[in-house]
Amino acid sequence: MTNTAPAHTAASSNRKWAIGFTTVVAFFFLLNKFVLPEASGQVQKFFNAWFSLTSMAEIMIWILMALGLNIIVGYAGLLDLGYVAFWALGGYVAGWLMSPFLSSFQINFFGNARAGLEQGIHFHVFLVLILGGVFTAIWGIIIGGPTLRLKSDYLALVTLGFGEIIPQFMLNGADIGGLNVTNGSQGIGGLDDVNLFGYVIGTFALPEKFLMVSLMAGAMIFFSIRLRDGRLGRAWLAIREDELAASMMGVPLWRTKFYSYAIGAVGGGIGGVGFAILVGGVYADRFNFVISIIILAMVVLGGMGNVWGVVVGATVLAWINSIGLIQVGELVNNSFGTDINFPSYQFLLFGLLLVLMMLFRREGFIPEARIRMVMNEEKTEDLDKVSDETKIASN
Amino acid sequence: MIKSIKIGALAVSGALALAACSGGGDSASEVLVVGTDLPLQGASADASKSTNEVVALVLEQAGGKAGDFTVEIKEYDDSTAAKGAWDDAACAKNAQDHVANTAEVAVMGTYNSGCAKIIIPVLNQAGMLMVSHANTYPGLTVEWDKGEPGLYYPSGARNYARVIAHDGFQGTAAAQFLFNEQGVKTLAVMDDTQAYGIGIADAVQIEFERLGGTVIRESWDVKQTQGYTATFEKIKASGATAVYYGGIFDNNGVQLVKDKTTVLGDNTAFLAMAPDGFSGYPTLREMPEAEGLWMTFAGKSLDGIIKGGGAPAKFIEDYTAKYGAQPNSSYAVYGGVAMQVILKAIAASDGTRQGVLDAVFAGESLCLTAEESISGMGFCLSTETGDVDTVTMTLQQMLGGVETDVRTLDIS
Repeated sequence: MTNTAPAHTAASSNRKWAIGFTTVVAFFFLLNKFVLPEASGQVQKFFNAWFSLTSMAEIMIWILMALGLNIIVGYAGLLDLGYVAFWALGGYVAGWLMSPFLSSFQINFFGNARAGLEQGIHFHVFLVLILGGVFTAIWGIIIGGPTLRLKSDYLALVTLGFGEIIPQFMLNGADIGGLNVTNGSQGIGGLDDVNLFGYVIGTFALPEKFLMVSLMAGAMIFFSIRLRDGRLGRAWLAIREDELAASMMGVPLWRTKFYSYAIGAVGGGIGGVGFAILVGGVYADRFNFVISIIILAMVVLGGMGNVWGVVVGATVLAWINSIGLIQVGELVNNSFGTDINFPSYQFLLFGLLLVLMMLFRREGFIPEARIRMVMNEEKTEDLDKVSDETKIASN
Repeated sequence: MIKSIKIGALAVSGALALAACSGGGDSASEVLVVGTDLPLQGASADASKSTNEVVALVLEQAGGKAGDFTVEIKEYDDSTAAKGAWDDAACAKNAQDHVANTAEVAVMGTYNSGCAKIIIPVLNQAGMLMVSHANTYPGLTVEWDKGEPGLYYPSGARNYARVIAHDGFQGTAAAQFLFNEQGVKTLAVMDDTQAYGIGIADAVQIEFERLGGTVIRESWDVKQTQGYTATFEKIKASGATAVYYGGIFDNNGVQLVKDKTTVLGDNTAFLAMAPDGFSGYPTLREMPEAEGLWMTFAGKSLDGIIKGGGAPAKFIEDYTAKYGAQPNSSYAVYGGVAMQVILKAIAASDGTRQGVLDAVFAGESLCLTAEESISGMGFCLSTETGDVDTVTMTLQQMLGGVETDVRTLDIS
């Protein structure tokens, strides 16, 4: 009984969070699909300003990314500073397989090519999502293979390098031996509308787009929880807590880390495809170091290793970045007659939040039980140490 | 568990009911809105602020009206502080917001061509007019890259116009000036690896090679912190006698200009030329290494507008009186010109989006006379491409720390 109680509590907690997530998604979908089109201008204005559906859909993409990184950083404890590379790779898979860009081909596999733009490759969105995930997983393997024998700072630096190399390749990939691979800084535009077996999700079908990316995020949440609770997940957590002890217990270190890197990359790939569909294209300018850091901050602030903590962290930071600061700024300026450009203080507020979190709640908004225990252990050890030192000094 | 589900269901239904009870459909607004879509964060923030002020002043001087319609402005920000520049997600969001705002009939912007690529197709499907003051990427209106410009117009009809000549013209003018007037036969063309820079460098290269010259193509990467002396050494060895900086000064231009002088000598010893991406930067003006730099500006420079006198100069005076300083850049003035086009289109319309769009793309070309335009340049917009029919290219040279107008360039 005592052994099953924590597992039962965790399952119950997951169920509650899942219901909460589903409720929020259902609320915004139904609201935007059926209620807001008929509501008064004021109501429409309020929701468009504070909870714009485009921004809500973007938040779902950030959740996907953060959950992908959480597998690498939160579960396996590998510091990855170049996760944006996987976002870029996923995005370009969508660009290659859902647009007229590769014009020397004319392939349409259940795709939705626009009239007059039939050249190029047009695959069904499900296939592109799968291929996006597989492609980034392969890149996770290619990157992870030679680097995962490194530890801590060294690994972080190598991932940082890859996080710079891949976006730079995308930016300069308009002429690789005479071949235009990425269209360079011009990016790839004109992505096909999603066609779900006859039901076309067009440019203005925002509720459907939101639902689509929410389902993707929901699936990622489900897999993240299942993975963590499985054999592989427990091996990751063991490595994260104590690599030497895990190795002594028979956990194959390199292979287990390798899996985390490849599986974590899938989140980036699928999110990259989803984001490209939302924006209608893929543009190399987006993929910079700051994005990697923001995703990492979402994981750390939310609660490393805790799926729901990461979801909350990603939601809060993505909302602040997208509309939160602008709206709060407008509210303050209108209320007090000031003229403060709130978004320009974003990094100041962001930095302040990080410092405060590290000082008062290092384990994140919603910490994972193990991490909370470790943090508390450290605190207790520190207190013991101080107490011992005081004793020695007084003697 | 059941309790949780009940609470969730109650919350959803309660919120939906609350929203639904708030009223029925909104009646059509009598005030028409023009959206401005600019990057209000990061390096372009000052230029965008100035552009918004010019646009507001144009509307104010028109009495807040276009024909019989009352017009208001709504400012949109297509940048994020996190990026410090235009952001693709912000552009996609703004595009949807423009369409969702039923009172909005046209958009003035964008500043960045990359952002325009995202917004144009969305507005196109909603039948909304967009007029840019600063997008110079040619492919937005004319055949340039694969699938362009059709890629941006899913409905098959045009909805995008711009009041400034595209890079094809600026690159052509620069190449002809260097080859025909300066006698340059081997030219080093550099780009900053970004959309604008590559576009304009391509245009220079194409025209220079067409004239019979030889082009040495190089790039400068903004992240290359160790500088560009190695690249300039390569240019020196190639036999080039001039260099063209295809890009914007923001992209590590200080280092670029310094390294060029170190390796190749000053601009009298080794000629250098830049597009309008180097225009309007006080830092560049203060650099001794920039002395003698040739520049082009697609349109009339601010200096030229003031010296031209008349109504345009008066407008700059009014702006200065109201905001305490001159407009930040010539692009800001062209923002006002784009607003003038939109106001004229609204005045000629029935107040609907389609009516405003038709005023530019159906029937006769919409024109601004030199007397009407706050830039002092008259033009008509092509109903086929949305481009201006009159191209004025100003040749400038940095003399004594001032971007001095030399003359206008003819493009053959």
